[in-house]
Amino acid sequence: MVPFGGWEMPLSYPEGTIAEHLACRRGAVAFDVSHLGTVRVEGPDALERLQSVLTNDLGRIGLGRAQYTHLLDAADASVTDDIIVWWVDDERFDVMPNASNTAGVLEALGGADVTAERAVIAVQGPDARRLMGSVAPDAAAVPRFRVAPFTWDGRPAVAAGTGYTGEDGIEVAVPVEVAGSMWDAILDAGVRPAGLGARDTLRLEAALPLHGHELGPGITPLQAGLGWVVSWTKPQGFRGRDALDAERAAGVPRHLIGLSTDGRQPPRTGTPVLVEGRPVAEVTSGNFSPVLGHGIALALLPSELLDGLEAVELDLRGRKVPARVTPLPFVAKQKG
Amino acid sequence: MNVPEDLRYTSDHEWARLEDGKLRIGITEYAQDALGDVVFVQLPEVGASVGSGDSFSEVESTKSVSDVYAPVAGTVVEVNTELNDAPQRLNEDPYGEGWICILQLEDESVYSSLLDAEAYRKLIEA
Repeated sequence: MVPFGGWEMPLSYPEGTIAEHLACRRGAVAFDVSHLGTVRVEGPDALERLQSVLTNDLGRIGLGRAQYTHLLDAADASVTDDIIVWWVDDERFDVMPNASNTAGVLEALGGADVTAERAVIAVQGPDARRLMGSVAPDAAAVPRFRVAPFTWDGRPAVAAGTGYTGEDGIEVAVPVEVAGSMWDAILDAGVRPAGLGARDTLRLEAALPLHGHELGPGITPLQAGLGWVVSWTKPQGFRGRDALDAERAAGVPRHLIGLSTDGRQPPRTGTPVLVEGRPVAEVTSGNFSPVLGHGIALALLPSELLDGLEAVELDLRGRKVPARVTPLPFVAKQKG
Repeated sequence: MNVPEDLRYTSDHEWARLEDGKLRIGITEYAQDALGDVVFVQLPEVGASVGSGDSFSEVESTKSVSDVYAPVAGTVVEVNTELNDAPQRLNEDPYGEGWICILQLEDESVYSSLLDAEAYRKLIEA
């Protein structure tokens, strides 16, 4: 167990990170992600409040859908938090920030912090829906980026077709009193438990950003390659719009890219990235890819260096290791 | 936690086995368990001369990197190149196929100055 944003979280279960990672790519695993916050925003003005603060446009979706969005810093448009919004009922939104950012999101949006009232379990992998079908068929049937209520142990729960692994799957939010029975039923169905270690290597292969690494102070959505999360057309604007407009007009100074090495040695957060022998950036996240069998890394490189850039070097603890610029994601979801 | 009686140990969680004046070295079961899944081992170079306590190898898992320190002074005479493609042997068989290297000792008597199994067991249970 390790401390994580004020929670005690398992880094891995006895099978180990690599086995858990591969189980998610080939079968199905369950993560206890109750550490994610839930801020409930309700009432007749709830939609308008979210629309005027967050970057994405809820007008593109509707009731019963989920949306990935950002909360920006008003002054410099850096990403204060990246968030999933579940549109649960006409005037009810469950906003899910990162564990350590819940207070900031609450301050920006209002609403109620209901994190302690529910547990969230993510069931992910190509077999996730099939195995969940025997546990909670209504939850298992929720399509990708849809949200629907279901009942567990006689209690109201919510399922969403979302996740953070690059695989198909669902996430369920259940009242904390019935969280244990939900977790046990999922494992009894043949889903294997997985910890934070596998969650991190899975999201890295899928090139999904982690706040504090690819997003955070000084990093805007445009730098992170997440311009699609920003609606420039909705009339309400969003917090940080002026600063982001200014960055767009002046030119985005750096961009997130993928790097691959030939060897197994894991690049790490902070590993220097060298272009023509000169340090130009640091790796934001890196590790050994269990699926590819070699090192992979994300880094924010100055935009002026990127034209035609094919190769860099990584300074791995004093050894210069060649790395190739690689299209993202490193590992794409398997079709069918 | 498995701590074989016939080996000697260091407080940095290496094990050592005396074999004809040479010392076979690896990391303990306790160390591999703390590291998690090992994905890369930076082996020392054959012929390298190391001082007691020198960092002469690195073991990396998905979560962290650890130095391996020379338990005694000596010269590296053999390394376990199987670990290049199968570093997970450090997890699966830390006292057997997961050995890291063999040192030619300068002074065989230093072996007995290393921790015995009982002392190492006390260290990790403390």
